[in-house]
Amino acid sequence: MKKVNYEFREKLNSVLGGFSHNYCFQCGACVADCPAHRFMDAFNPRNIMLQALYGLEEDLIGPETLIWNCTNCYNCYERCPQDVHPIEVIIALKNMAREKGVRPQAVDSILERVRKTGQTVLATDLIKRRREELNLPEFKPALQNDLEILLSK
Amino acid sequence: MEIIPFWGCMIPLKYPQMESAVRFATEKLGIHLIEDQRFSCCPDPIYFKAGDEIKWYTIAARNIALAEEKGLDLMTMCSGCTSTLCEVNYHLKHDLKLCSMVNKALEKIGLSYRGSINVRHIVTVLRDDIGLERIRQSIINPLHDLKVAIHYGCHLLKPSAIMQVEDPLYPKILYDLFQAMGATPVNHYEYLMCCGKAAQNPQISLDMSHAVFQSITDSGADCLGLICPTCFDSFDLGQIRVSRQFNKQFAIPVVYYFQLLALAQGASLQTVGLKYHKIMPENFMEQLKHHLNATFV
Repeated sequence: MKKVNYEFREKLNSVLGGFSHNYCFQCGACVADCPAHRFMDAFNPRNIMLQALYGLEEDLIGPETLIWNCTNCYNCYERCPQDVHPIEVIIALKNMAREKGVRPQAVDSILERVRKTGQTVLATDLIKRRREELNLPEFKPALQNDLEILLSK
Repeated sequence: MEIIPFWGCMIPLKYPQMESAVRFATEKLGIHLIEDQRFSCCPDPIYFKAGDEIKWYTIAARNIALAEEKGLDLMTMCSGCTSTLCEVNYHLKHDLKLCSMVNKALEKIGLSYRGSINVRHIVTVLRDDIGLERIRQSIINPLHDLKVAIHYGCHLLKPSAIMQVEDPLYPKILYDLFQAMGATPVNHYEYLMCCGKAAQNPQISLDMSHAVFQSITDSGADCLGLICPTCFDSFDLGQIRVSRQFNKQFAIPVVYYFQLLALAQGASLQTVGLKYHKIMPENFMEQLKHHLNATFV
């Protein structure tokens, strides 16, 4: 039997964007307008808020979690009559999941790329040629030193 | 007017034809771009924010603080950059604790966030500062009869309390802007759909894009018009994958708003770089050439 995990709830409360799950009264307005739910029945923002209220750590940020299927469309943020901001709670959960190593590989590679190059997308030779063809100025990457300082632990 | 362009990374490093079109169109509209080469990635509002939200605030605040030194607003061309920079700007203005945490980090590189400027998507600059009338006056090749199915994407409009553009359920801004170049915006039933790019399960994004393609095909539009390079990714390259998976032959040309605007303002096909698109049917190119040549007849 699943048990309420108060410790996990406390932790979620302290993460940026995580506290507002406490306002959820389970109306389901978020579900009706969720495009991810429309195409994947199992992804259900109301259910994710319920799991957060129970503190079900394994369901939320364990290896089988569904939270990474959120499309970040912000419809739930618009709909919610309680200002739960389900998407922000989900992003808080994603931050917690990453800390445990549960995340798509892209998360780490993007963080690393920004730290090293300042950009998410890297310039290829093809694009450099296209920029020349279009008479665009050379693209200069950001001041690397700044990012190294801000993104070091 | 003067404004600082925030090019981000997707536009200059993946779809430079969009940058080229924006440069052409803004010049015609008297928008003077004050460049700053020190900006980094916004950073990305999906993966970066999900990976380390505090650092996401910090890097975005660095970009805003650099613009603040010049005392001008930041203008974004990508909905992702808009999402990150508008949200961060809003929250740092409202959450003093978060703001002082971020400023403590920025101190290390000699910067501070003051909350003295606004971040605005370029289409809101066109609507609110330039105005539809001035856009109409800049048009020399009106794209009459060109039926454009609009795709708004998510991050221009939502969350509406922060973005402050207009009602995300009944948006009008792109309708008016496409009309200003003489084109005919076409309604279709999935026009508020998300492109699905952020979902981990690729099937979700394929299904979403498929819904949009079917809706646009049913609408009889000549092309899909949008304002976000990430949506462009899903719909241009993504169209090949969707066609393959659903065994359909979608051939919907996808264009960034400013590519069409620049053409209507007299830019050459070379300047707007439509040839770099994966889906660019011959008959659509012919239709555009017809508009461009019409003025010289």
